[in-house]
Amino acid sequence: MQQELLFKVLVIGDLGVGKTSIIKRYVHQIFSQHYRATIGVDFALKVLQWDNDTVIRLQLWDIAGQERYGNMTRVYYREAVGALVVFDVTRASTFDAVLKWKDDLDSKVTLNHGRPVPAVLLANKSDQLGSQQPKLDSFCRENGFVGWFETSAKENANIEEAARCLVENILNNEESPVVEREPASLILSGFTNTNKDPLNCSSCMKQ
Amino acid sequence: MAAEDLPSEFDVVILGTGLAESVAAAAFSRVGQRVLHLDRRSYYAANWASFTFNALLTWIQQHQEEPQPEEVQDWSSLLEEGEELIYLSQSDSASIRNVQVFCYTSEEDEEEEEALNTTEEEPKPDSADPQAQTEPGPEEASHTEGDEPESLQLVPPAAQNQSEPSKKKISYAHLVREGRRFNIDLVSKLMYSRGSLVDLLIKSNVSRYAEFKNVTRILTFRNGRVEQVPCSRSDVFASRQLSVVEKRKLMRFLTSCAEETEEQRAYNGRPYMEFLSDQKLGDNLQHFLLHSIAMVTEATPTEEGLAATRHFLRCLGRYGNTPFLFPVYGLGEIPQCFCRMCAVFGGIYCLRHSVSCLLLDTHSNRCKAVIDSRGQRISCSHVVLEEGFVGADRKRTNTPPRFLSRAVLITDRSILPTDSEQQVSMVTVPPAAAGGPAVKMVELSPSTMTCSPGTYLVHLTCPSIGPAHQDLSPLVTSMFRTPESPDHEGPSVLWSLFFNMADGSGLEAEGHDLPENVYLSSGPDAELGHDHAIRQAESIFQKVLPEEEFCPPAPNPEDILYDGDTLGDTADGETGDTIGDITDKPPPPERRDGQNLKSE
Ligand SMILES: Cc1cc2nc3c(=O)[nH]c(=O)nc-3n(C[C@H](O)[C@H](O)[C@H](O)COP(=O)(O)OP(=O)(O)OC[C@H]3O[C@@H](n4cnc5c(N)ncnc54)[C@H](O)[C@@H]3O)c2cc1C
Ligand SMILES: Nc1nc2c(ncn2[C@@H]2O[C@H](COP(=O)(O)OP(=O)(O)OP(=O)(O)O)[C@@H](O)[C@H]2O)c(=O)[nH]1
Ligand SMILES: [Mg+2]
Repeated sequence: MQQELLFKVLVIGDLGVGKTSIIKRYVHQIFSQHYRATIGVDFALKVLQWDNDTVIRLQLWDIAGQERYGNMTRVYYREAVGALVVFDVTRASTFDAVLKWKDDLDSKVTLNHGRPVPAVLLANKSDQLGSQQPKLDSFCRENGFVGWFETSAKENANIEEAARCLVENILNNEESPVVEREPASLILSGFTNTNKDPLNCSSCMKQ
Repeated sequence: MAAEDLPSEFDVVILGTGLAESVAAAAFSRVGQRVLHLDRRSYYAANWASFTFNALLTWIQQHQEEPQPEEVQDWSSLLEEGEELIYLSQSDSASIRNVQVFCYTSEEDEEEEEALNTTEEEPKPDSADPQAQTEPGPEEASHTEGDEPESLQLVPPAAQNQSEPSKKKISYAHLVREGRRFNIDLVSKLMYSRGSLVDLLIKSNVSRYAEFKNVTRILTFRNGRVEQVPCSRSDVFASRQLSVVEKRKLMRFLTSCAEETEEQRAYNGRPYMEFLSDQKLGDNLQHFLLHSIAMVTEATPTEEGLAATRHFLRCLGRYGNTPFLFPVYGLGEIPQCFCRMCAVFGGIYCLRHSVSCLLLDTHSNRCKAVIDSRGQRISCSHVVLEEGFVGADRKRTNTPPRFLSRAVLITDRSILPTDSEQQVSMVTVPPAAAGGPAVKMVELSPSTMTCSPGTYLVHLTCPSIGPAHQDLSPLVTSMFRTPESPDHEGPSVLWSLFFNMADGSGLEAEGHDLPENVYLSSGPDAELGHDHAIRQAESIFQKVLPEEEFCPPAPNPEDILYDGDTLGDTADGETGDTIGDITDKPPPPERRDGQNLKSE
């Protein structure tokens, strides 16, 4: 039988680095030049047929207005299992902020065995880069990122690859039981008649 | 993440991130108002917050320190003609008093089982004074690593004989080490499964940010014993403590309660107690019905008692065997859920940020801006303030504020240990003496993610008569093993905290001298449910925007259609990020586990 896994992934980084553009490119295959602050969207869902036996539902949690001032609610971080940390290659200050985001992430959420959640670094807007970007391999090693990618939401470069890298790392953690789910938590929902089959996701709850 | 200046124009500025303020923030933001939501504290949810064990120690320390003298900065230079300043109070210490902490467990992990420690001194009522408790025990030095309150009463373990050999005792060091697993709420409330909070969470879709546990059982403490209260049909039938006759009587009574009858009306104005005793139910049932189901006092009039009973029965069975729910990770999550909703719709959040004064337009007598502690002028059309921001000089009446007495205990086992790792218990404790306060007690097990495995978190609440320790410690010693009750068979208290918190229910009665577009909200009240805060938020919202809907459902993220949702590159400018139509189709279940509950 197919197993379905659901992963909550955070997409964080400074204002205007392209978080929403990356999500929209990845999930909806669209890109817009026009900048709008992100409003009204909690997360976007990307469904991946990972292999013959596994469907992965990635919940990509975008950040909203609040985070600009660095005060995330616990609700945002809760039960995340991975993160994409984004900066804009054309603005050095957004790279400087990367470590702040990483620290905030690590201080607010850890996997159950205490290890940090896997994070992938995205050097976005690479289409705007004339010269070769310095390599970030050692930066990643030193700062606990599991990998890095030069991405462009505009030209659809490397976004799938970055997501794939993150998912692989999340799955590695899954093998050692990560989330010790409590049985029978209730989810309140206002929707009365769901004619679709309930999500079958046994593997997420009985790790 | 930088400390940049805030935008300088908003529709609504909200100060304080307690439940009422957070719900109001979500409501305003949801209908397109530009919201700035600030809290001068470094954490969300004000007196509704929950803390890890270590963060709670910091909180305790802060509230035991002498309040800092307020530094009033003079911003009058920012004034233009026809403007006036209203300075806001900068200290919030007034809402918390008499903080006292007791640690009854050994400090370090022990190889051998240790006997219970005993406190050397009686708690001092005036413990707000840090001096009063700074009596460093011999072991104190080793664990004052910065964030622990000095006043923590730690005593060297006394070598005593321990009769019952049990599992390894949990040390203080263990609590600190496992501190992140605790989410200790400052308030103790439950959610009625058909109460206004649950309805609002469902209606607004804010429920997607939280998960809940059923309260699994209702207990009562009577004649020195903890008993389970049968309340659902299946409980009644399964009950071993009720006789067959009692079972039949109780079922008949509960069924007849559902509708108002002539007979009931005849008792209007007379005590519910009288009504119950005329039903010839017997002591047992009468106790359950009065204290555990209606949760009223002997003096409560019949119509109120019956209304409470009906509410209880209506809530029963919606999600489980009791009428109550409790949020996983604690109640402190709830205001944050509403804050997240506010932020998702564009609300801007800033903690550790306070507003020094309101700027009054003297012609219109309206507040037209606020000035923050950095002197930034932020204009706005409406201001919502938590009560604590308003100085005493703005209060019209001088009624002494009412307080709640609170105790938080970390214990080593459940007060009724059956399958207790999973149990969440509501415990009603009738007044020890007639006219005294009834104590509401909630026992949380690790399944709620509010305490570490092997421990239980017990919350006690009652309207204050005196300092919390004075009000509640007699009950603690009669239910638990403490140094004052060393022979008690009940669970041992490992650590306990007592404090008084201002009772927010008094707000409406009081008048304030404030501009008409400034709205006050208050902190937690004494009731078990959340109606007070929700009502307050809704009434503020309706005063400001009478035409708008309060918290309409937020679109399900999976149903958002982006305008210009065409494949391939689009440079569609204007409509790029707006939310398009939300389809009517029922969305798929949101998450993976547990029961996915429907509203009906
Ligand atoms: C898998 C997993 C999932 C988890 N999920 C959740 C979850 O969903 N919800 C949850 O609550 N926890 C959860 N936790 C626990 C969580 O990791 C942290 O315990 C919690 O988020 C607090 O982290 P912290 O140390 O950053 O903040 P804390 O030290 O608790 O502080 C939080 C904020 O409040 C401020 N603060 C705290 N106390 C005070 C005080 N007394 N005075 C002034 N400011 C104060 C701090 O400055 C900080 O900004 C989870 C843990 C694990 C392992
Ligand atoms: N050239 C180029 N522009 C990009 C790329 N990604 C995003 N942008 C542009 O950068 C701007 C900001 O992108 P958003 O996706 O809105 O950024 P964000 O991080 O979500 O911003 P906030 O939500 O306000 O924090 C927009 O004008 C995008 O068109 C990219 O890969 N290349
Ligand atoms: Mg965005």
